[in-house]
Amino acid sequence: MARYLIGRIIGLIIVFVMVSVIAFFLMHSVPGGPFDEEKSPLPPAAKANILRKYGLDQPLYVQYLRYMWSAVHGDFGISFQSPTESVIQLIARTWPVSIQLGGLAILVAFSSGLVFGIVAAIRQNSWIDYVVTFISTLGITVPNFVIAIWLLLIFSVRLRWLPTGGWPTEGSGNWKAMILPVITLALGPSALVARYTRSSMVEVIRSEYIRTARAKGLSEQVVVMRHALKNALIPLITILGPQIPNLITGTIFVEVIYRIPGLGKFFVSSIYLRDYPMIMATMLLVAMLWSFTYLLSDILYTIVDPRIRLN
Amino acid sequence: MSRNRLWSVIVFVCVAMLALAACGGTAPAPSGEAQNASNANAAPTSAAAESAAPTSAANDSGATAPTSAASDSGAAASANGTLNGVKLPDDAAPADQQVYVVHYDNTSDFTTVDFYESVYKRGGAVSDVLSDSLVRLDKNFKIQPGAATKWEVDSSGLVWTFHLDPNLMWNDDTPVTADDYVATFRYGADPKHAWDFTWFFQGVIKNWSEVVEGKVPVDQLGVAAADPHTLQVTTVSPAPYLPAMMLYSDTMQKKALEAHGGLYNSDPATSVSSGPFVLKEWRKGDRLIYEANPKYKGTNKPFIQKIVVIGAAPSTDFASYQAGEIDFVTGSNLSPADNQIIESDPELKKQSHPQPNDFRTDYLFFDDQNPPFNDVKVRQAFSHVIDRDTLIQQIIKPSQGIPAYSFLMPGFPASNSKELSSIQNYDVAAAKKLLADAGYPDGKGFPKITLWLRNEAPVRQAVAQAIAASIKQNLGIDVEVSNKENKTFTDAMNAKPTQIQFGMVSYGMDFLDPFNMLSVWLGGGRHNWNNAQFDEMVKKAASFTGDPNERIKMFQDAEKLLVTEAPGVFIYHRYQSDLYRPYLKGTELEPDQNGVAAIHWPGISSFSQVVSSIYVSKDVANFDRQLP
Repeated sequence: MARYLIGRIIGLIIVFVMVSVIAFFLMHSVPGGPFDEEKSPLPPAAKANILRKYGLDQPLYVQYLRYMWSAVHGDFGISFQSPTESVIQLIARTWPVSIQLGGLAILVAFSSGLVFGIVAAIRQNSWIDYVVTFISTLGITVPNFVIAIWLLLIFSVRLRWLPTGGWPTEGSGNWKAMILPVITLALGPSALVARYTRSSMVEVIRSEYIRTARAKGLSEQVVVMRHALKNALIPLITILGPQIPNLITGTIFVEVIYRIPGLGKFFVSSIYLRDYPMIMATMLLVAMLWSFTYLLSDILYTIVDPRIRLN
Repeated sequence: MSRNRLWSVIVFVCVAMLALAACGGTAPAPSGEAQNASNANAAPTSAAAESAAPTSAANDSGATAPTSAASDSGAAASANGTLNGVKLPDDAAPADQQVYVVHYDNTSDFTTVDFYESVYKRGGAVSDVLSDSLVRLDKNFKIQPGAATKWEVDSSGLVWTFHLDPNLMWNDDTPVTADDYVATFRYGADPKHAWDFTWFFQGVIKNWSEVVEGKVPVDQLGVAAADPHTLQVTTVSPAPYLPAMMLYSDTMQKKALEAHGGLYNSDPATSVSSGPFVLKEWRKGDRLIYEANPKYKGTNKPFIQKIVVIGAAPSTDFASYQAGEIDFVTGSNLSPADNQIIESDPELKKQSHPQPNDFRTDYLFFDDQNPPFNDVKVRQAFSHVIDRDTLIQQIIKPSQGIPAYSFLMPGFPASNSKELSSIQNYDVAAAKKLLADAGYPDGKGFPKITLWLRNEAPVRQAVAQAIAASIKQNLGIDVEVSNKENKTFTDAMNAKPTQIQFGMVSYGMDFLDPFNMLSVWLGGGRHNWNNAQFDEMVKKAASFTGDPNERIKMFQDAEKLLVTEAPGVFIYHRYQSDLYRPYLKGTELEPDQNGVAAIHWPGISSFSQVVSSIYVSKDVANFDRQLP
């Protein structure tokens, strides 16, 4: 196990270096820079001044090596979009918001998905089953920005029950603002969880050991909750894994539509604005999250299912 | 249940939901208004709730205000209608309703509220309210005294003297002096600062270019303090347009600039103001709050006591406006679908205010140095196949623009649109003849070309497609339309030689002088058209110090040459139809000399008198306004 982990971690470091090289040279190969010439071309001297200010007057490989040297020392530079703080501070400020939103969404998604999935499995082919199937089909097929706009039009613009956006940060703001984005974000994963739970529960419920449990005279509740559910959960780990980095790095559409001051928008705005330090930081962050999520879910398998071994 | 039946149920419900959503999209406004009206008439409880809500806002301003002046005057407001020393108009709402809430674009750069820190990183937010510019604009785009009470130029036409209002004070109780202005201009030219707007004063202020290039130290800049309240600006050549340029001169404080650098206004702790507002709060990426400056001594004193600027993607503005959360939406953030809803709703239509904004003109441009567009006949042929009237009626819509046959929009100084309208008129027969004369009869032998767009909104993509279709139909030339990402396009356009053979782009003015707009076409500038005669005419007119009417005539002659030579084919002048609530009132919002009633460019900032004019009227009680 330890050897396996060390191997995996060394692999990850190689992956990070490769990601950094590719991202760095790719972003510098795109035209434009952190200056604005929309109105009029900048005088050459003025442009040179800007490039010098951001250290972009050096050859690319020098810039890359400088960047990596600082990065290894924990200095990821200063975002062009937010020059009063370092990239680390910027991420430390915005990421918790995205984690909050994503975390709540995961919580809602998994609890509701599990409940719906179990109920649908137990009451197979009943009206509850059909309703759950319908809603989950909707949740999986309709993109979350469409759902976001529907909810916004219905609950904010027409009914005026909830604000159109915002997020309670730094002790102020309206908690009601959290409702729509969390539901929007949770709907898709919830549907996924419900579908998986339902089908694996249906399968497990028909297996021999459940029949044995029932034959022993255990109550239906114990049979479902203690015996069936545990085995039905295994496929969920597979789908839970990828959802986590997806949700907690901030989903661009949901954050943008609901005005949530999270990390999500930086994935796009950094590229549009040629904010090189922030592009690198977001890339590396995502690479890191994905790698560790997969590593973690591999380890989790061995705990839930003793038949699986890591080698 | 069979699979088929299940699917038919799903399809039915989907259709039903889509229909519901569609209703939500098209109908909310009228019913929302009806609801408001009935609230106001039949349910006094909601009005009570409304007035209860903002008290929390008033409370925290009272609690945290540096002096108790704000809360004192707030209390006084109900008694005698004065607020922070200004008398509210008779029909004004109470002090706690004198709040203005807007969005800024949180997908764009927003790092500063100071022009001299960055022009392009102000996020489209309310900015430049923390000090006064030397001059400001009224609704007729006339220059009015700002921080400078008067100004004059010496007999050489080169040395301008601006007399500062001696009453102006920073809210740290130090006076505003000419040294502050000098420090601000020096900061703008400083190569280390690398300001993104340095081109603006290049060739205008003495030694500006040399300082930017690092050839001359910053203290040699042609901006000097003759005494604490007298500022002198020396120009390279006579520049009668200098006062117009001085719109952008909201000063920074020398002391703060030296102590904290150019971003001192990004944090309320280091922020200092001599303008109509003070910075109260700035939660980066989220929202920013200004409050009226109780120590403001200038002549642009606001009725509005608090401005809340909330970060949002432009596409969400309309929904927030409909939900009563914001008071204003800039027309440039409204989609064609939004505009359709507004058109079909009488209440919203009344709240829509078309105005020329920054006198923006959309036009086609060419690589004029290489075939086929180095031939003036080809360019002129293109200028005759664009049916502007149909474009306006069918695609752009009359509330969003008017046809352009020349560069300067009606209402802009020296605009001569009537006389010039016959030069690039819609005339297919003339176009065909010109193209044949150029050696491409019916487009034979003409290469296939691509029309580049700069990250254009859907409406202008549609305009470009229509133009391409018209060129194909009338001239037999294949045109592919390609909408490019912003920086990719800009890089290619500015490259020397240009990498764009055929493109569409727009320009809006920076200051109210024909020199500003026409200088776009000077050799070595934005486009690669290089016409010595035009350059000479424009430059000569620019520094002409004689009769202003004669100067206008000189610019008109230059524009006529521009339109005739057709390095640009002018398509339309944009109108911006902003939405704002009828409870926003003020003399500056009433019809201007051209009958346009709107919050004129540049809106709420020290560049404009709107600041001291706009207020929230008692009508606000009829609206379900959700103050943050």
